[in-house]
Amino acid sequence: MVMAEKLIDGRVIEACQQGDRAAFQLLFETYKDKVFSIAVYSSGGDRAVADDVTQHVFLKLFTAIRQFRGDSEFTTWLYRLVVNACHDESRRRRRLLPLGDTVAMRNPADKKPQEKHYARLEVAEAVQAAIAQLKPRFRLPILLRYIEGLSYDEIASVLGCSKGTVASRLNRGHSQLAKRLSHLNNPAVWGE
Amino acid sequence: MFSKHVTKNISAYCHGELSTEESKQFAEHIISCAKCRIKFEEVKLGIKFAEQLPKLSAPDHMWRELEDVLDGTREIPILTTHRRRPIFAFAAAAAAIFVVLGGFALYYSSLPSPTLPGRAEVSLNVQPAWRVNRLDGAPRIGAQRIFQDGELRIGQELETDGNSRARIAVGSIGNVDIDENTRIKLLATEPTEHRLELTRGKLSARIWAPPRLFFVDTPSAVAADMGCAYTLEVDDQGGSLLRVTSGWVALQLKDRESIVPAGAACETQKGIGPGTPYFEDSTWYFRFALRAVDFSPEAANRSAILAALLDEARLRDTLTLWHLLARVNGGDRGRVYDKLAGFVSPPSGVTREGILRLDQQMLDTWKATLEPAWIGSGKNLSKKGAYGTVKGGLSQRLKDMSPK
Repeated sequence: MVMAEKLIDGRVIEACQQGDRAAFQLLFETYKDKVFSIAVYSSGGDRAVADDVTQHVFLKLFTAIRQFRGDSEFTTWLYRLVVNACHDESRRRRRLLPLGDTVAMRNPADKKPQEKHYARLEVAEAVQAAIAQLKPRFRLPILLRYIEGLSYDEIASVLGCSKGTVASRLNRGHSQLAKRLSHLNNPAVWGE
Repeated sequence: MFSKHVTKNISAYCHGELSTEESKQFAEHIISCAKCRIKFEEVKLGIKFAEQLPKLSAPDHMWRELEDVLDGTREIPILTTHRRRPIFAFAAAAAAIFVVLGGFALYYSSLPSPTLPGRAEVSLNVQPAWRVNRLDGAPRIGAQRIFQDGELRIGQELETDGNSRARIAVGSIGNVDIDENTRIKLLATEPTEHRLELTRGKLSARIWAPPRLFFVDTPSAVAADMGCAYTLEVDDQGGSLLRVTSGWVALQLKDRESIVPAGAACETQKGIGPGTPYFEDSTWYFRFALRAVDFSPEAANRSAILAALLDEARLRDTLTLWHLLARVNGGDRGRVYDKLAGFVSPPSGVTREGILRLDQQMLDTWKATLEPAWIGSGKNLSKKGAYGTVKGGLSQRLKDMSPK
């Protein structure tokens, strides 16, 4: 868990519910990067769209936080907002913007050793592209796991499904990533 | 052995979401089920890729823009396909809340306000660690002596002296006992890879994980666990000795690999890599000859030594012979082939020509046929009196040289 998240306790939430701007800012600073990351990966890598989605999530959070009763973890509640915003955004957009198809087709393992750092960056870009191409039901569990570091129980709670469903969707998501990126699987890429 | 397939649990296993009992059942199944093992490798690769997903940073200006929206001095930028009305509704609602709650905010400003986290705090992650239990003496983690329990983090070294021993828990997949006068370093602990470095001394590992999840780097090879128990010892010259007590271990250096089953051992040498595996119940002169073949490649009488080795081979020693196929050349490879074929005929589709040119598919097919002999169920494979060996020639001379 990120250290800053430990600072978010009941008092901070209560202060937000009372309209304390400093408490809001604390919430924002703590979660903005995670929310932004999910928004970027869900919008096919479009940072401008992700920027707007992130702002919408926090506006929604600020206006709706009074309704938060503490029945679930605050983070579960927050990530539900994020997931809903991403679903809304996906529905609005007819199709995801392709992100780095040409990057995904290149093999970074062909690079010279001194270029391995850049090869890793290219792998990261190809992974982003592959994740953007996953269906939302496979993409979101992966983002919640790898960006937010949530457990299977927490992901199930955010998505409103069973733990078994989370395990199954992660399995399929991982398999699809492996198939789409298998051309990048080379010891040189992993620094072996 | 024939339990239900476990493919649906692969991600959960890799993420440590299964109970200890479930993990053990998973590992036991996957070791014996080729179908699940293939799927496991695929999911593991997917996890490896997903772990490369970088966390991004939100733009610095975002809070200022949000504040402007909340203060009603700015409209939030509109997505091209967004409708305006709901956005205004959010902004208006937010502004209304601030008006209504302004008084409360003033009141709250008199209370101690939560501190905004600094950058360093935000980026701090709790590092994964292995639990270390002292077994004897006072082992050290870095400069710190441990007298009961400790934690070994990535990059840290655990060292024992002549009087101390320790046991480390490798996540939820097994234990490693560290003997006296040993130094190890934790290199990685991730869902798809647990890796430590053994620079000197001896460790005993018991791992109930699927293949190739736990690795030990030594100066002369990497030991890749295939679901097993084994000991690994590194000497002062960087050479090592692997002895497998259950399951399988692969020793690797670049493209040279030795697959070592239970009951077998394998030496490695710095600069050469893994030698050829052999069963520990093979004859002394068999092992002596094998050592010469492996680590004295320039020996003038190498072919004669190989001939002695072949004379000594038993059915179980097909483990050694199969590995030797790729490690000897020319006529020697033909001789090894003939000896091997004398024990177990090559299966359909495997030809002498193919094996002599080291066709990997043919080698693997033949290996699959030979494996029952390596794990103790190969009596029916015997052909032409497999256990009968003809001693003589150099073999006899080597025998004469053995210590009395």
